[in-house]
Amino acid sequence: MDTDTVTITVANRGNEQFTVDRRRPLLNSLEEQGVSLPYGCKYGGCISCAGKLLSGEINQAAATALNNRQLNDGYILLCVARPLSDCTLDVGVDSHDKLYRNPFASPLRSDELKPDIATPSPINQETNS
Amino acid sequence: MNDDLTSCCGPGYASPAEAMKAPREKLLYTVALYIGTGIQKPDYLATIDADPDSPTYSQVISRLEMPGIGDELHHMGWNACSSCFDDANMERRYLIVPGVRSSNLHIIDCATDPKNPTLHKVINGDEIKAKTDLSAPHTIHCLGSDIIISMLGNAKGEAPGGFLHLNKDFEIVGRWENDLGGMKFNYDFWYQPRHNVMVSSEWAAPNTFMPGFDLEEVGHLKYGRELHFWDFKEKKVDKTFYLGEDGLVPLEVRFHHDPDSSHGFVGAALSSNIIHWYKKDDGEWFWEKIIDVENQPHPNWPIPIPGLISVILLSMDDRYLYFCNWLHGDIRQYDITDPSNPKFTGQVWMGGLLGKAPEVNGRKVTGGPQMIQLSLDGKRLYVTTSLFSTWDNQFYPEIRENGGCMVMVNCDPENGGMEIDKDFFVDFGKEPHGPARCHETRYPGGDCTSDIWI
Ligand code: FES
Repeated sequence: MDTDTVTITVANRGNEQFTVDRRRPLLNSLEEQGVSLPYGCKYGGCISCAGKLLSGEINQAAATALNNRQLNDGYILLCVARPLSDCTLDVGVDSHDKLYRNPFASPLRSDELKPDIATPSPINQETNS
Repeated sequence: MNDDLTSCCGPGYASPAEAMKAPREKLLYTVALYIGTGIQKPDYLATIDADPDSPTYSQVISRLEMPGIGDELHHMGWNACSSCFDDANMERRYLIVPGVRSSNLHIIDCATDPKNPTLHKVINGDEIKAKTDLSAPHTIHCLGSDIIISMLGNAKGEAPGGFLHLNKDFEIVGRWENDLGGMKFNYDFWYQPRHNVMVSSEWAAPNTFMPGFDLEEVGHLKYGRELHFWDFKEKKVDKTFYLGEDGLVPLEVRFHHDPDSSHGFVGAALSSNIIHWYKKDDGEWFWEKIIDVENQPHPNWPIPIPGLISVILLSMDDRYLYFCNWLHGDIRQYDITDPSNPKFTGQVWMGGLLGKAPEVNGRKVTGGPQMIQLSLDGKRLYVTTSLFSTWDNQFYPEIRENGGCMVMVNCDPENGGMEIDKDFFVDFGKEPHGPARCHETRYPGGDCTSDIWI
């Protein structure tokens, strides 16, 4: 078996499966195989391409756009996310049910901010220790 | 295409007073968007019939799609304006329509057939990033035959960005500015050459605002609160005013149209204030807060809702200031004859989160009053409802199904006052490819936010 490739299952597109190169961003690999996906900046800064990781592991070190609440809800940025294993995803705007929140209705806790400014909340510290 | 019969040669008008006498606008160009909607179609430039005597009045009559998806068209600007009035070689012909997310610049020919604009050229965002380390184009102004564009980030979407310089053939000259000083963020700008000044404002880094609005990031200084006064000739920031809590997220910058005036205004979106500045007799710039919109409590939300002043505009005679509270849902008109003592003269409601006007004239409004454009004679204000795709999705998620809309507000330039027009309504929810959103508007003959006199 080719270790450079993994299988991506797109749950909300009829569980269709794609073999993709693990070194390349999922957006490029899936688009090339005919999956039409939204995108904007293509460098991990804008969340237009967000999808939801339902199982598997990815590396999205270049992503700056997601806050920790979005990350905890499983969101990934397909334009920079590279798969580390077989993965199952929801893609497109259909997967954005929890991506957006009204900040006046639902403020973020300090641990839910973007990773560069988040501070651990006392509750999380307890659960982590 | 000369905009008016009295013009000697170049584009535009000899003065703001001449501009006010121009024929009524018959066409509107408005950006329409599919980014963020789930509809996998490019954003487009919609041409709207604004001629009340035409059978297609108040309808989209043509659509120019951009070459690809994902641009997020936002603001636009002309290749030439009244600043070239004396130059017979210049012509107001091309609309420059940037994509904030893609950084692509679309150059659109609106003169060959004004009812069916065509794509003349695309400057690819990757080329801009490679040559200038800039991204996220926003405001466009022409300076004689040069074009400058505020760019909100570097190639990686980090602040402060800078200014892109294009020549009149739409070739990248490089970066316009010589010295950003301590500028932390970039957004809008306007210049007033007789005072050798340009003023620029601050939104946030693209990587901060593009994903949506995390209010909590304001406290982490990820959003702007300063105003920069530039030495225009030297292209360097000369003086920076810290506006503090009264100037959170200063966005649209407007100088008086009168080229001799030093008065200008900026709307601070989040603190929902209008800031006024002018040059005092001793030659020093001075700023003051002149309008303060109170936050409104919401019965179920822990944090009161700010007006969120997303746009301001001055009438061509500099007598009226208009602004929108995108989250509250009102458009206001103030008489600013005495700029330090504005008089509240008019208000209309459409959409918004306070539930004051979910419908106007029996038509559903999704979103709140957002971009506005005023006719040169000051009588008709065209209003659209979408701000920015990710922010729309946070505050007005129903816009995905309903689309945005454009309404017209009749304004009384003699006595003040405003009223939503009963006959004009463009429903972007009914677009052929599905519900779209609509943002900034421009007219072929120039408008109240395009032309500067030198
Ligand atoms: S396209 Fe902007 S974050 Fe992926």
